[in-house]
Amino acid sequence: MKIEIFNREICVCALLATNSSCAKSSAEMEKNMLEVVNLSKKYGKMLAVDDVGFTVPDGRIGILLGPNGAGKSTVIKSIAGLLRYKGSIRIQGIDSRETEAKKCFAYVPELPSMYEALTVREHMEFINRAYGVEATETEIDTLLEKFELKDKQDKLGNELSKGMMQKVSICCALIIRPKVILLDEPMVGLDPAAIKELKEVILELKEQGCTVLISTHMLEMVKELWDVTFVMDKGHILGTYVKEELANEDLEELFFAVTGQGEKKNTEAGDGAKEGR
Amino acid sequence: MGAIGYLYRRLWTNWAKKALRKPVTYVYIVFILFYLSAVPFSFRMIAEQFGINSPDGMAAVLTALAFWIVPANLVAYAKRKGLVYRNSDVHFLFPAPVSPKRVLLYAHIKTLFMQVILNLFAVACGVIMFHVPAWKLGLYVVFSLVVENVTEGCLMLLLYGSERLGEKQRGWIVKAAYGLIAIAVAIGVYYYLDMGLSGAAVWAFLNSDAVKLIPIVGWYISVIHLLFGGATVINILGTVLYFCLMAAVLAAAMCMKCTGAFYEDAAKFAEDYEEVLENQRQGGTRMRIGKKKKFGRASIRWKGTGAKAIFYRQLLEYKKSKFFIFDVSTLFSLGAGIVIPWLYIREGGFGDAEPFVIPLVSAYFTFIFTTLNGKWAKELKSPYTYLIPDSPFAKLMNATAIQLIQCLINGLLITVPGAIVMGMQPLAAVLCVVGCAVLSCNKLYAMAVAEIAVGGTLGRVGKQLFQLFIQCFVIMAAVMGGVLGAMAGGVVMAYCLMDVFLILFTLVFMVIAALNFYKMETV
Repeated sequence: MKIEIFNREICVCALLATNSSCAKSSAEMEKNMLEVVNLSKKYGKMLAVDDVGFTVPDGRIGILLGPNGAGKSTVIKSIAGLLRYKGSIRIQGIDSRETEAKKCFAYVPELPSMYEALTVREHMEFINRAYGVEATETEIDTLLEKFELKDKQDKLGNELSKGMMQKVSICCALIIRPKVILLDEPMVGLDPAAIKELKEVILELKEQGCTVLISTHMLEMVKELWDVTFVMDKGHILGTYVKEELANEDLEELFFAVTGQGEKKNTEAGDGAKEGR
Repeated sequence: MGAIGYLYRRLWTNWAKKALRKPVTYVYIVFILFYLSAVPFSFRMIAEQFGINSPDGMAAVLTALAFWIVPANLVAYAKRKGLVYRNSDVHFLFPAPVSPKRVLLYAHIKTLFMQVILNLFAVACGVIMFHVPAWKLGLYVVFSLVVENVTEGCLMLLLYGSERLGEKQRGWIVKAAYGLIAIAVAIGVYYYLDMGLSGAAVWAFLNSDAVKLIPIVGWYISVIHLLFGGATVINILGTVLYFCLMAAVLAAAMCMKCTGAFYEDAAKFAEDYEEVLENQRQGGTRMRIGKKKKFGRASIRWKGTGAKAIFYRQLLEYKKSKFFIFDVSTLFSLGAGIVIPWLYIREGGFGDAEPFVIPLVSAYFTFIFTTLNGKWAKELKSPYTYLIPDSPFAKLMNATAIQLIQCLINGLLITVPGAIVMGMQPLAAVLCVVGCAVLSCNKLYAMAVAEIAVGGTLGRVGKQLFQLFIQCFVIMAAVMGGVLGAMAGGVVMAYCLMDVFLILFTLVFMVIAALNFYKMETV
């Protein structure tokens, strides 16, 4: 019963957006900093992402939300130019594979990999040069201090823990002063203080007009951040939700309703209860 | 300085600083220098024996190498393999606004250091083995580092980076590269039919004009022959064609559009490469890049508790493996088991060394398979091994039980056929099997001893060298025992003393290995 109500609401406010034409919705009139149109990606014969489209306007935080294997990382990697794909991805109207587009976006992968023989600070210096930004020593210091890396700045890549690597990865993404930032499961491996810091940084970026796209399966981590959420499952976007249009609806319940996982959970709970009896 | 220049500079500087702080680096440097200078001297006699101790000889050797290297590189580039990227490149370099062509060249230039080393080696060989004048060698180094590098780099850009070539076209290029080898083989067959299987036929093939006209690889060979052999019409024609090729591929590579479509394949390669490196670090069998190990379906009946779980888990894994508990060492043991009796029959005996041939071959295999430690090495790195509530000795026995059985099988394979053909006494044959098996077991525990002794100070290679050293010590002790036994009471006594020494050392190593488990449990 509950699920039916949710589905009706999805039709009204969130649009079942499995293709790009549906995805534009309320943001159509805004400037679309990040635009994904008819994106499809196959790994061999397996279709990982099927005709996905969405836009994230300037200065908004978009969330790609879905269970494991939904295709979120494939979308993020396609935007970052790491995969071949069908369709088009534009950043401020420029093809994302163009150097000009790459200059304004940063990417934080799910699993950070450091250069074994580069120190933390040298990683940032390398990114500085690769992106042609002129971050001052003070700016680098501020970032390092923010993520409690100042005392680790001379440590080599192979001397860092996974959490430290993730922090370095985030610092490297921030140092380029991105207009678009892609974060693939950014909270994984971070300690509570770093998660809090990262959330604050994301909100700061938003205030500065940066477009943020976060891929995650941890809803509670992005609850206070999101402006628009794209729920993905099995390579499709099942629903697009704009915060202002949702009124008092709970995103978590909407997610379970649209992916059918809530139903599964209820059935399992019911079965469990029966078994218990 | 650009980003890639900075990356190179820092990576090399930090790597060198870190390496120079370790005393073992100096040992490696001395070892490599000794090896690189000793090889040309030791091969000089062979070159003189075969009458190739002249500049023409060097051209012939480089011709043979060209057929091995050039087509293989073309195939690798067409398959978007052969360039080593790491996961860190995928993370930081690929998404950066750096031209994808530069990203390709970055990986290509990584091989430059090795090229310089190989060129220095070639110069040493040229001077010592082939008596090539210095100016010719200088010219060769310049050609190799500049012209050959530019040509190969551009071919790499065109094949690896091209976004016009589809799967089909890439397949054609691979076939064309194999076609180049096929042409060379056809020319070789012609010389074989004409001159028979002889050194003269091989020499004629390696200096053949037809070979020099094979596209790309033949043109390269022409340049080599022009440098070392002198000017002939074909050498000059081939050289002109090679320089034309360089100009053409340079122009094409500069004009080619490349937006980074290769990143996906390069990222996959990086992932596979890191997996192979990790597997090697764990002491596993050599994996081929991109080839996943396949497992079948299997089941076992679990019996007992505690450390027995390690044994049954290993058994389940082995049952799922294609070759069960057998690996390359088993294959070599089987091969030796066949070759030893064959040689015995062909040569009509091995003289005074006859009783020691099998143990010596077994000892040699122990050396060459030092890095092959199987599942045992992985057990030492698994936290579950230490968490299982059982005694360290029980864990040790269960973790190595299947490999001990493998050692016994290897011992039987290497000994039994030879023992039958050589007419060995049954007791001597049994003692020989025991000796070979214990020698292999000793290798297993020597690894744990090396881990305890130098694990904290030396790197992976250092640990392996130390393991080799202590294995060598044990073998020397066993040889001494064998000699004493032979002097005292013949073959059986020799085997007895050899086995006693080997078993004693192996037991000591076992205790140390068990302590290793205990120490790590309690830390």
